[in-house]
Amino acid sequence: MYWIALWPSHDEERTAWGWHALQFTPRVAWVDEALLLEVAASERLWGGRKRLLRRFLDTGELLASSPWATAETSLVALALLRLKQRGEPAPAQVPDALALELLTAAREHVGILERIGCRTWGDLRRLPRAGVVRRFGAPLLEALDHACGDRPERYAWISAPESFDVRMELAALATSAPELMWTAQRLLSQLQLWLRARHRGVLALELEWTLDLRRLNGKALPANERLQIRTAQPAQDMVHLRRLVSEHLSRATLSAPANHLRLRSLETAPWPGLSTSLLPEDNKPGEKLHEFVERLSARLGEHGVLVNRVHSDHRPERMQSWVPAKGHVEGSEPAHPVDALYPSWLLPEPVLLEMRGDTPCHGGPLRRLARLYRVETGWWEEGGPACRDYFIARSEEAGLVWIYRERPGGNGRARWYLQGLYA
Amino acid sequence: MRSLPGVIDPGTLPHVWRVPELACAPEKVLGTGHPRLDAQLPGGGWPQGALLEILQDHPGRHVWQLLLPALALLAREQQGPMVVVNAPFEPFAPALAAQGLTHSRLLRIEAARPALRLWAAEQALRCADVPSVLAWLPQARAPELRRLHLAAAQFGKWLFVFRGTNVRAESSPARLRLEIEAGEGLNVRILKRRGPPLAYPLELPAHPKRLSQLLASRRAKVPSTPARKDRSHVLDRTVALA
Repeated sequence: MYWIALWPSHDEERTAWGWHALQFTPRVAWVDEALLLEVAASERLWGGRKRLLRRFLDTGELLASSPWATAETSLVALALLRLKQRGEPAPAQVPDALALELLTAAREHVGILERIGCRTWGDLRRLPRAGVVRRFGAPLLEALDHACGDRPERYAWISAPESFDVRMELAALATSAPELMWTAQRLLSQLQLWLRARHRGVLALELEWTLDLRRLNGKALPANERLQIRTAQPAQDMVHLRRLVSEHLSRATLSAPANHLRLRSLETAPWPGLSTSLLPEDNKPGEKLHEFVERLSARLGEHGVLVNRVHSDHRPERMQSWVPAKGHVEGSEPAHPVDALYPSWLLPEPVLLEMRGDTPCHGGPLRRLARLYRVETGWWEEGGPACRDYFIARSEEAGLVWIYRERPGGNGRARWYLQGLYA
Repeated sequence: MRSLPGVIDPGTLPHVWRVPELACAPEKVLGTGHPRLDAQLPGGGWPQGALLEILQDHPGRHVWQLLLPALALLAREQQGPMVVVNAPFEPFAPALAAQGLTHSRLLRIEAARPALRLWAAEQALRCADVPSVLAWLPQARAPELRRLHLAAAQFGKWLFVFRGTNVRAESSPARLRLEIEAGEGLNVRILKRRGPPLAYPLELPAHPKRLSQLLASRRAKVPSTPARKDRSHVLDRTVALA
């Protein structure tokens, strides 16, 4: 058996330390003020005691460093941790030379025991068991047996909850959304620990801040405001999420100062782990495409990052459309019209050309070079029927252009439109 | 020249080249698809991981004709979309697909402010899955271009930046500077390269093959239908105007 006892230095990090410990072993429990974990079974997995301990204590920026102690049994580890906190050195003989007040079960009897000359755990063990049980009750000896390894130790092991939901008070009232970022980062760190403990990656999360005011300028305010953030692939690493949250927060507005921030996980997926490859072409530097698209969509707006969709239609302006790339990055499409005689630039809307006599003009009169084809659509089509003749024409200024003649229904004059540019 | 023992001949160093010769690029190059242009570029193509600047008066003109063969080649080699930042018009996917760049390999970025465009272009360069970035940045200044150049070099991307010809005299960190001359034909002047200056413009085919054939047949006043392999739909019939 190998027990680690740890006393979290910040109270609000207690749960997070528990989730962090769950990565290493399922046998994690809170006993009195300390977190106890038994790691003998998973030592091999982590490459030995020393490495496991180093990995456990090296939390980077996620958690503040905290005092810890290790021993063969949980209560000895706890006693050593208590000694460490008092700044006293550990005695040479453990556990026999440990002082009695380090054992929780013995604390209420310390006065009586000292008066009969019994100061250490060893002294207590040497007293006749039957007499001790009669005088002090069974729990004292049971605790001592647990501590000395004569009885197995059982605790109520903790587990990570099904979904993440943590609310934190802000250090100061936040008047603008970017001021929430500091607390949001701490919440995201805790979220990362929770995800690791549950071996999941987050797909959607929700930030909710509680407003400090009920009314502002005579208007009733909601109790809290929310911001939802989604990502395309389950994420456990917080670098992308942190940047995404900061992009979203820099755009959000608070209707009143906020005093609490709450982070919830809305959707999670099993974490497949990072794929590692030795091939250099699989390890290209840079971020992933979906992360890039999500970040740009957050800052530029969803209509700033566009991908192409093709549709089967004869009218060129309906052959393609540009849709927000967020959530549409992957996906295969059916075969679509392909023609080398189409122009490579399309105008967003066909431009009505001015006429000089019978000649359409666009930066000077257009000289028609070739007639391409005729498009006719039915009256049932969206946008009304189209009846067009397409031409390639040459403009003095713009080079080769793609124009069409809208054939009039009655005896009106034909109208000419510019629709594309050859480039 | 007799080389002294212990002294390295500078001509053998990878980044040193003689004035009358083209530099041999140590990095990967991407064939331009235009043999006449390839012959005049160091290494024989667009160099990877460098800013490639293209100056022109009419934004967007001849651009796809110049770049599409290389982009189609790149699309076959690598995954991911080509990012087009602030294009002057909408790229028409059916036309680009005919030359090998399918619509799913395009990602268009539209940003209102020049600073945002620069930021978007740099982020695109930093994305692992983007092989190439085409950016129209008429207002970009040299320090901003240098930043993009360094990002392209760090992540090994092909970065094409389009600006107006009014910046021809300004200094630029670009490895290669081309100017597309105004006019009907695709005449490319090489303003800057690792090699001797090129006095005359290069004349490249101004249109895709099929369009050139159609125009030639029209010019010759011979009503003929250019050969084509497949017909996409019934209405798509090419008729030379007699």
